[in-house]
Amino acid sequence: MAASVRTLFRRVVRRTYAGVSVPAAAVSLPSGRRWTPPSCRRFSHETGEKNTHFGFESVPEAEKATRVYQVFENVAQKYDIMNDAMSLGIHRLWKDALLHAMHPQPGTRLLDVAGGTGDIAFRFLDYIRSQKERQKRRVARSMQTPSWRDISDDYSDKDNREWGDAAGGGSQDGRAVVCDINKEMLKVGKEKADNMVVGDGLSWVVGDAEELPFADNQFDVYTIAFGIRNVTHVEQALQEALRVLKPGGRFMCLEFSKVTNPVLARLYDAYSFQVIPVLGEVIAGDWKSYQYLVESIRKFPAQEEFTHMIEEAGFDCVRYDNLTGGVVSLHSGFKL
Amino acid sequence: MAALLRAVRAGRALRGLGSSKYGPPPAAASFDLVAAPAAKPECVSVKRGFRCAALMLQDESKSNKHVGQDPTAGTTQGESTSNTHADESTRANSSFQDESEEQGEEYETEEQLQGRILAAALEFVPQHGWTAEAIAAGAETLGLSSASAGMFNNGAGDLVLHFVAQCNSQLADILAEQHKQVQLGQAEPKKTADFLRDAVETRLRMHVPYIETWPQAMSILLLPHNIPEALKHLSTLVDDIWYYAGDRSTDMNWYRKRAALTGIYNTTELVMLQDSSPDFQDTWIFLDNRIQDAVNMATSAKQLQSTGEAVVQGLMGAALTLKNLSGMNQRR
Repeated sequence: MAASVRTLFRRVVRRTYAGVSVPAAAVSLPSGRRWTPPSCRRFSHETGEKNTHFGFESVPEAEKATRVYQVFENVAQKYDIMNDAMSLGIHRLWKDALLHAMHPQPGTRLLDVAGGTGDIAFRFLDYIRSQKERQKRRVARSMQTPSWRDISDDYSDKDNREWGDAAGGGSQDGRAVVCDINKEMLKVGKEKADNMVVGDGLSWVVGDAEELPFADNQFDVYTIAFGIRNVTHVEQALQEALRVLKPGGRFMCLEFSKVTNPVLARLYDAYSFQVIPVLGEVIAGDWKSYQYLVESIRKFPAQEEFTHMIEEAGFDCVRYDNLTGGVVSLHSGFKL
Repeated sequence: MAALLRAVRAGRALRGLGSSKYGPPPAAASFDLVAAPAAKPECVSVKRGFRCAALMLQDESKSNKHVGQDPTAGTTQGESTSNTHADESTRANSSFQDESEEQGEEYETEEQLQGRILAAALEFVPQHGWTAEAIAAGAETLGLSSASAGMFNNGAGDLVLHFVAQCNSQLADILAEQHKQVQLGQAEPKKTADFLRDAVETRLRMHVPYIETWPQAMSILLLPHNIPEALKHLSTLVDDIWYYAGDRSTDMNWYRKRAALTGIYNTTELVMLQDSSPDFQDTWIFLDNRIQDAVNMATSAKQLQSTGEAVVQGLMGAALTLKNLSGMNQRR
């Protein structure tokens, strides 16, 4: 009984998805399995696979990763423009808030997972550059009024100038690794980097958040901005984050969350379901992907529950801050 | 030999951890951090234990104070790491050594860890000022990533307040010690003015290593979100000094004395910032003068009061005499 209801639901869903053409042969899964067309999927749930949510739809876990990959493959080219249009440019403020909370020092190694087009990584490098500028200016200013001790030190060892970074330039800069499961998004990011004057310190790696291709204890900061709700097994992603962070490292997650104010919640819901998919259709020509986006926001756990999940994964000092009244929340935890 | 002892101790700690949570641990004697089994909630705290134990081994290799330390199961992680830095932070936390529950101990370990990071950060203050950069540098000396400075939401404020609290508790310890000496009869009790002067001088001398950056610290303490905490520390300081000076008053004098000492302390602190005399001689002379002023004002207030009473009594007597003389006082 339940099986037939499910197949009926599937057929209805498939009809609405008729507009999306998916070349079966061209899609390659990260694990190497071939994607089978929907007609063969009809009886997969009977083999006992677990289901998860894909927006408001329920799909087998194995399929979610593929569907998400397709979504981001379709939207990659217009991703940044759509971000600006949907959030009215506020997403830049959210990402700046993430960087200010992080307050990275020169020499920090960042891993930006689901970094896609590289927004966080670019801001990170800029921040570190301005920090170094500030340090240099402070050192120069302190040298303008030297105390008698400084003068005597100066006479004794003229060679040890700390702020002359000719020797240790690379190690004092920030280094950012952008990791994403989707090659299209990384391609867009790389193009952006080539157009900007970014310099070195940036790498682009293809990888799955649930199985990061990095050794243990590598990074000072792990960020995931607006990506963790697309991961099939969030707990696994959290544990991978714990693994690759150094002791004392920080996990930071920027994600859409539950709006606390009821009035604002009503407005936000109306805006999400009425305006955003329309924008998606008009600007990017893809209604379904943005429908998935707003639905996936509703499916993601609320702030407190997510905090609990982060604590369960092994992080300490976990806290969250709501931005824009709860539309976005910034979670932070430490590996101690 | 030392390495062998360390390995044996680590093995004992491992075995202790294992038995406290779930059954006997795996037979492997090698210290394997990487292989964490499936994500069970119990494993979380054991993993944390492993990580803390790893830090402990790191710290052990840096210090040589561990001969004859007794590793009780599950508590080695917190206490050994705190003991290596016991001389750095006055919160020696030796009272927590007897905590045998892992849950309670980890809760304390977070605050202990924050205390240790701030204590380590103090040595970078001359270089970086009272800033989050100093905290990050301090965290790095403990083997943690610089990102752990993000734990302190108040950043520089946390560092300054920690330092102030540390200085206050050091002063309280010194005063208690002196008090004990006096009680035992090994030292002479000082006069109030001398006692106050010595106490304030001792406390202000603790600023000397950071005197270059102390203006920045004072301005941080004056930020609105730091003012309540800063005032609390100041009031405890002044209260402690007066208590050990022997003040047990229960009337308005309690407030007057503390207000006077607060004024003396703050003004002396400001003078110290601009003092360039050798060993801050000018500051101590200023302090002397202010305390003398306060003492003089107290004595002259008392004199004024008694004089006033005497004057009033005299006047009353004169009026009574006049009434007697004029005959108004007779009963008819």
